[in-house]
Amino acid sequence: MTNIIDIRQLQVKLQQRSILSGISFTLEAGEILGLVGPSGCGKTTLLNTLAGFIEQESGDITVGNTLLINKQNRVPPEQRNIGMIFQDYALFPHLTVEKNVGFGLDKLSKAAKQSRIDELLTLLELQELGQRYPHQLSGGQQQRVAIARALAPQPQILLLDEPFSNIDARLRNELMIEIRQLLKSLNMTAIFVTHNKDEVFTFADKIAVMFEGQILQLGSPIYVSQQPNSWQVADFLQLGSWLPFQLKEDAGKKLAETAIGTIELTREQSYANKSSTEDVNHSGKQLLLIKPKEIEVNIETDKNDNSQAIPNVIVNHIGITEHGYHYIVNSLDNSPELTFDRLSFYHDQVFSLGQQLSICIKHHQYLTFQQNKM
Amino acid sequence: MISGNRSKVWQIVSWATASILVLPIFIMLVSGFSATTELFSHLWDTVLPTYVLNTLYLAIVVGILSIFFGVISAALITQTNIKAKNILRWLLMLPLAMPAYLVAYLYTDLFDYAGPVQRNLREFFGWESPADYWFFDIRTLFGAGVVISLVLFPYIYMLARTAFEQQDQNLHRASRLLGLTTFQTFYKVCLPLARPAIAIAVSLVLMETLADFATVQYFAVNTLTTAVYDTWLGYGDLSTANALASLLTLMVFFVILFEQKARLKQRHQSNRPTRGNHIIVLSISQQFFASLFCWALAVFGFLLPMFLLVLMALEYATIEQLDVLISTGFNSIELAIYTATIATLIAIVLVLYKRLHQDKYKAVPLNVSGFGYAIPGTVLAMAMLATFGPLDGFINEMAVKLSIEEPGLILSGTIFAIVFALVVRFSAIANGTISGGVEQISQSIDLAPPSLGVKQLKSLFTVHIPLLKSSIFIAWLLVFVEAMKELPAVLLLRPFNFDTLSTQIYQLISDERLEQGAIGAILIVAFGLIPIIWLNKSEDKV
Amino acid sequence: MFKKIVSVLAFTACFAVNAAQEVNVYSYRQPFLVEPLFKTFTDKTGIKVNVVFAKKGMAERLKREGKHSPADILLTTDISRLIELQDNGLLQAVNSKNLEEAVPAQYRSADDTWFALTTRVRNIYSAKRLGKIDFNYEDLAKPEWKGRVCTRSGKHPYNVALVASMIAEHGEAGTLAWLEGVKSNLARKPQGNDRGQVQAINQKLCDVSLGNSYYFGNMLSDEKQKVWADSVYINFPNQSNRGAHVNISGMAMAKYAPNEDNAKALMEFLVSVPAQQLYAETNMEYPVRKGVNASKLVASWGEFTADKLPLEVIAKHRKTALKLLDKAKFDL
Repeated sequence: MTNIIDIRQLQVKLQQRSILSGISFTLEAGEILGLVGPSGCGKTTLLNTLAGFIEQESGDITVGNTLLINKQNRVPPEQRNIGMIFQDYALFPHLTVEKNVGFGLDKLSKAAKQSRIDELLTLLELQELGQRYPHQLSGGQQQRVAIARALAPQPQILLLDEPFSNIDARLRNELMIEIRQLLKSLNMTAIFVTHNKDEVFTFADKIAVMFEGQILQLGSPIYVSQQPNSWQVADFLQLGSWLPFQLKEDAGKKLAETAIGTIELTREQSYANKSSTEDVNHSGKQLLLIKPKEIEVNIETDKNDNSQAIPNVIVNHIGITEHGYHYIVNSLDNSPELTFDRLSFYHDQVFSLGQQLSICIKHHQYLTFQQNKM
Repeated sequence: MISGNRSKVWQIVSWATASILVLPIFIMLVSGFSATTELFSHLWDTVLPTYVLNTLYLAIVVGILSIFFGVISAALITQTNIKAKNILRWLLMLPLAMPAYLVAYLYTDLFDYAGPVQRNLREFFGWESPADYWFFDIRTLFGAGVVISLVLFPYIYMLARTAFEQQDQNLHRASRLLGLTTFQTFYKVCLPLARPAIAIAVSLVLMETLADFATVQYFAVNTLTTAVYDTWLGYGDLSTANALASLLTLMVFFVILFEQKARLKQRHQSNRPTRGNHIIVLSISQQFFASLFCWALAVFGFLLPMFLLVLMALEYATIEQLDVLISTGFNSIELAIYTATIATLIAIVLVLYKRLHQDKYKAVPLNVSGFGYAIPGTVLAMAMLATFGPLDGFINEMAVKLSIEEPGLILSGTIFAIVFALVVRFSAIANGTISGGVEQISQSIDLAPPSLGVKQLKSLFTVHIPLLKSSIFIAWLLVFVEAMKELPAVLLLRPFNFDTLSTQIYQLISDERLEQGAIGAILIVAFGLIPIIWLNKSEDKV
Repeated sequence: MFKKIVSVLAFTACFAVNAAQEVNVYSYRQPFLVEPLFKTFTDKTGIKVNVVFAKKGMAERLKREGKHSPADILLTTDISRLIELQDNGLLQAVNSKNLEEAVPAQYRSADDTWFALTTRVRNIYSAKRLGKIDFNYEDLAKPEWKGRVCTRSGKHPYNVALVASMIAEHGEAGTLAWLEGVKSNLARKPQGNDRGQVQAINQKLCDVSLGNSYYFGNMLSDEKQKVWADSVYINFPNQSNRGAHVNISGMAMAKYAPNEDNAKALMEFLVSVPAQQLYAETNMEYPVRKGVNASKLVASWGEFTADKLPLEVIAKHRKTALKLLDKAKFDL
């Protein structure tokens, strides 16, 4: 397999401000990459830079092994062979569906153009709508036209800017699967931007989490969610809740002292915040990433039972989900370093709001992070 | 976004066009700098402070009155169940078709002490002299302000009405749910939201007011423009005249800054327009006063002057006049077509240059090319002569050197100079209209063609220009009408034996014989109605 | 876009003047006043007359056009314009016996650069209801006329020339006092034109006004305006002393006139007996040529004595007159 796109040390500045720095990654043919990250992290800028709407400050972009784009060799967007689906679809309101789809096909002969249009309309099940105008279509139909139009000139890469944000939540999942299958069947390489992590897990082969103009982590969605390499990645992907702790060493054992008791860190992996400075240990908080399934509640059986565990949290929020009741609890311990207020877990049993519970953390592969001050 | 040589060409064309359009203004400013202080200080010691104050008062009166007329009528039409709404909707735009100097003439004539209205009143009541009764004096600053406002308020009415109608209806709903009445909602939500649009319209009105020479003259009101005339024609001191005109331009410049600021604040309009929703139901007395207000505007701004013109035409029209009318009408149309076409083309180039290029100063050509709107036509004509006179001289000298026949005054002595002056003067209108159209196009539409492998320059003809079709057409029509109405620049720059409808009417007016030009005046107004009807139609389609 | 401009250029080039038998006139005078004369001239000589009319900025246009200007002849309605053109070196002398014979020395420049065509008097109109009165211009400042005087803008060339003649007679301080006196007597702010003042007298807004002689004739021949004119007397002021202030309409040849011969022919035609008669009949002005009579109507207003003040003096005092008008805030 060959790399369809190869990006090295890409840097972008807008109005003297660095927007992207040190972006490097490659994609092979047919791979779908999802770009996620908080707003303002540079996802859309990266997309626009790849498309050629924004000029890079430095670094190389190689498209299809042959087309090298850098500061010296600027390639205008129309020569990059990169397609794009815009967030608002950018369908030409004055052209019919057919004309929209055929817009980028002027180099073809008339007959070839028509057959390509027909092919795409069929592929996207738009045959009946060829003579309609964009405003006569539903949101989903508009999106399919946008996809057909972008695919028509046979781009090497397809860029999608929040493609599903305008779609009804109920249809979204179905549509994502449908489009993913389409792209896969065409072996189309695609990069899409989203702020919704669920879309990534459904749609992408790879995920890149961006933060402040950098890619913090890139990998398969499963790997990234199991092994987040920084606090930001885990936090953005909402992999669990945060439990503050203080590290203690006792007879060679590493102990994490928390508001709900001390935990022995046996299989600990610790990550520092990537974009923070070197002396993270002193500036930030130490945090344990606790996935909901690692939390165990010590059920009260008898009120007079002395062996009963001392309550250490108080229920702050109750929700009902398909996984059972969802609880968010606050710590009862008020020591400023360790107090927490958003520990989240699911449980089958009903607790009441304000009820005090005793919880503990199951033994698992602990993930510890350093949160630098924001 | 656009790269390569063509982009360079575009850039050069844009900057060059803008520079050419500002050149006359630049020459005016430079000439102003060389003014001697002697005459200026004489004027300052005597009449200039009054002129400046009058100018400011006039601007304030027109500003307040036209906001009062325009915003209230727009509100009544969009927010209430006022009767005959569908007729009033477009009737209130019609005063725009009336040249201000024409209305000024008609009204000063009509409401003057010696005019028919007061004369008949006196006869009816047996009054003998001015001491016997009170009647407003039309030839005052306030009278001028009222009449100017009556013909210019539709700018505000139109923009405010559109702003009201395009507001997101959820905002109104939210306001109602938060416990505000419809009236409070209008006052606290709609009006503040429409403020930027109103500010833009007010700036247009103020620019027209400041640049006006002909209208205030009928009202015997002396403004800064009077000073420009006095220094130039009376004292024969063109430099000081230019300095005063520069002062005027400076005032207008502040108006432009104000307008630009307003534009920045203009919020994104929603695609959930409110037309037809949350109507305020008027009580009977409210209905009466609201109708009275709107109909009074329509009557005094358009119907009455039109009626007077038609009366005159019926009484005085002859076949010979019609004959002359055809040739002068043709001249007018010809000038207006050239002006409208060139101004529109320039506007397209400059607007799209600003939109599609990434140059740091990409907005500059567009902005500076609109300055001419601020310059009174006569001053502009002088600047034209100062620019093209020497250029013609140079061309003729070159011709002599190359031993070809001297071409004569091919620039300053032909309709070239008129068309150029009109383009300089009215570019702002075309620019504004087409800019407005471009703002409606989603940014991603710019990016789509290159992402499909189509060069942006090529996509202009398949995407942007078709999308801008109606804005371009409206821009063309608006400039066309303004060019038909424009007077001073044409008067001063025209070649031999060249008359337009407006110069003909002006000559007749200056001889108090408008009656014989009434058909011509009706014709100008009729042409002015075309774009208004079109505007109304295109708005209804949305 | 450039194609478009080029085509406009090509089009406008068609308008550039070509040198057939023709003569080009820049006119401050209303076209309908002079067109019948030109028509007669063309019929007689075959020389086509091209006209541009503008009240404002004609001198400036001529100056800017320089030696390539197509203008041959300039027609003005006021002595000051002629002098201004002369001072700017935009005129050339015309040596013509015909012109010298036709135009009295008082009404042409010593160096033959300009010639008057007609003269017009700055009259005082007074309401018939007051009976016949002998006026001096000076009377308009007298307190007895308080609130009874009407006039057009003081800055109008006709009034400026009158003020200039007052300066020649009374000096600056005397004239300023007079202006202030007139101003305090005004029934209303200066406005409108000369006919409008007569209309105001008719409507009893005021009793006296300043106005040029020919307007009276024009009003009498207009159905609607006749009523106004019938309610006033036309008075020739200062008949017992220096005489009534007289201004001229005039003509001159442009310095770079391309059609000198035709221009000369037209100028000579304009002072010829038939042309002067036509002027007298249609425009109600006093023909400048001795021996040509004013129209019957104009003659019926009676003989008058004209102020002998040289026209150059009036032109000389023009700027001072403007300054005094500013000082008196006459129009405000």
